[in-house]
Amino acid sequence: MTEIKSIQDSFDALGYVVDQELATILFLMTNLQKPLLLEGHPGVGKTEVANILAAHLGTELIRLQCYEGLDVHSAVYEWNYQKQLLSIKIQESNEKTDTEKEKHIFGKDFLMPRPLLKAISGKDKPPVLLIDEIDRADEEFEAFLLELLSAYQISIPEFGTIKATHPPYVILTSNRTRELSDALRRRCLYHWVNYPDFDKELKIVHKHLPDIDQKLSAQVVRTINVLRNKKLEKSPGISETLDWAMSLHALGKKKLDEESFTITQGSVLKSYSDMEKIKTEGVANILEQSNSN
Amino acid sequence: MNPNYQSYESITHAILGFAAYARAHELNVGIRETQEALSIAATGLIREQEFFRYALKSVFCNSEENAVLFDQLFADYWGAPKASVTSRITMKNQSNLQKQMQRSLVLLGKGENKDGQEEEGKNVSGANAAEQLRKTDFSKLSEIDSEYLEKLATNLWKQMSRRLKKKLKTSTTKGKIDIRQTIRNNIGSGGAMLELKLKLKKPTRNRLVILLDVSGSMDKYSFFLLRFILALRAHFQKIEAFIFSTKLIRITEFLKIKNLDHVLIQLSTHTDNWSSGTKIGDCLKSFNDDFCKRALQGRSMTIILSDGLDTGEPELLANELHKIKRRTRKLIWLNPLKGMDGYQPLARGMSAALPEIDVFRSAHSLDSILELENYLADV
Repeated sequence: MTEIKSIQDSFDALGYVVDQELATILFLMTNLQKPLLLEGHPGVGKTEVANILAAHLGTELIRLQCYEGLDVHSAVYEWNYQKQLLSIKIQESNEKTDTEKEKHIFGKDFLMPRPLLKAISGKDKPPVLLIDEIDRADEEFEAFLLELLSAYQISIPEFGTIKATHPPYVILTSNRTRELSDALRRRCLYHWVNYPDFDKELKIVHKHLPDIDQKLSAQVVRTINVLRNKKLEKSPGISETLDWAMSLHALGKKKLDEESFTITQGSVLKSYSDMEKIKTEGVANILEQSNSN
Repeated sequence: MNPNYQSYESITHAILGFAAYARAHELNVGIRETQEALSIAATGLIREQEFFRYALKSVFCNSEENAVLFDQLFADYWGAPKASVTSRITMKNQSNLQKQMQRSLVLLGKGENKDGQEEEGKNVSGANAAEQLRKTDFSKLSEIDSEYLEKLATNLWKQMSRRLKKKLKTSTTKGKIDIRQTIRNNIGSGGAMLELKLKLKKPTRNRLVILLDVSGSMDKYSFFLLRFILALRAHFQKIEAFIFSTKLIRITEFLKIKNLDHVLIQLSTHTDNWSSGTKIGDCLKSFNDDFCKRALQGRSMTIILSDGLDTGEPELLANELHKIKRRTRKLIWLNPLKGMDGYQPLARGMSAALPEIDVFRSAHSLDSILELENYLADV
């Protein structure tokens, strides 16, 4: 399929290595106008997909970071209260009736759009809407999203319903800290983002660090793979691989040995008990395991 | 013989056939998904099998777990040579039949009474019966009493969960000023803020993680404790429940069913670790490895219901408990044996576990479980 190949090439040129499966789904997503739900471990590049997709389509990226307690006012819209208050004061002396005054202060000038409203009021091009870490938001918010994702419209009681002229491309990401509802899943295309295989990960490293020593990068990727199988508290993702390769490269190392492992381990191991675990197992052992693979 | 795309005369029919085939194998495929499958085919993706598989997968699967099943079905139906089919659901073998019988019996509260404690059973009756029953050890009940006790328990637990709910409502304090509502309400007075509207704090129901020991030594208790878990559903926003003996099984899904009998039937058909040995440490390890991050969040409370008679390594148990402790707000261990006179937590597992536990209580009779209410409300 030429379209899918062209997506892959375009992403490649933008610095993101995308496999055939994801490319197919991205093609579908732009074709069927359906949101895409990406699940996977932290640090496998879920958020980056949205960034690159926006660049690929040459459109704006609108991002909504979810957190516990996120509500409609910070996600959809809010009235500009200060401005409303001032306006009421200014109009105190004029002859307008109360209804007219009310109509005035609930006008468009007083409305402050938040990410979701921004995303559906795009003027000339559909933007990419990234709803990041949806699993952190409350279930109530998830239910609210259902309406938005199926009809691409938002109703504001004082103002009326705003319908998207250009429905955005929606990408949702989840780290699986809680199970999402079936209703939400069914509205989306689903893709599980796994840790990349050796070749793909090596390609990613070279993409970001073109002048890194070939041997060093291969060694880093192999060692990361060994570490992923160790059941650490925080398994290293792709971002850790890149950080690590970058730190070693910046320090001018040509080879990953016990010494360079120890001084740069902070970019891979993100908790004290993980460090202890690796220490007791012996850095030399781990390096040996990675070399024997 | 499995259905196959060749038995249909047109592509549309073949796709419809595949949707029906996937549905029959419990993938969540409705009319909407079928329609989407057709529009996928219309985009031309159907020309290449790999792309077609990726595309259908994103529509037909909605979690990582059913991806394997999908690949299998796709390969069967469209005859893909390349798709790797690695895991297959293994059939339960004959020797499990015995276990299944025992499991069903335990769920009915009529598990084999191995220790021959029938003689001790007290058949209580009369005005004071209810009062006495509440104090009776579950393991010393006769069959007639246990029916009565079950009714009693259902009522009491219902009351308990109602009380817990009430506590939440009245304990909310007044919160911030809600400017939005305040302005709306004061438009009549020309914008002068005469009457303030306050935003009330939303009552948050908390999360609870329960791990129930269903090994042989717990048979007499697990029947009632399971019902206790079901009674707690109403109070907590989210309950994650697991049962363990030699292996750990997540039963959260089954708790969503409203009807209690249906829950029990589902449980008995889908779980197979009732009445076997106990490896608490290993089970907690698999909990930590697979579910911990999803189930335990800052506000959750963890309850372990077990007698602590462990055949595994005590060090492992202590270690894994420590991990749970770090991620949970309160760790409660309920041990039915604690209700016995002169019980000392000397069993290897139990003594290893003690230093990590916040609350250690008994759970051998109705009353002792009801006392838990205070801890639950306090979350």
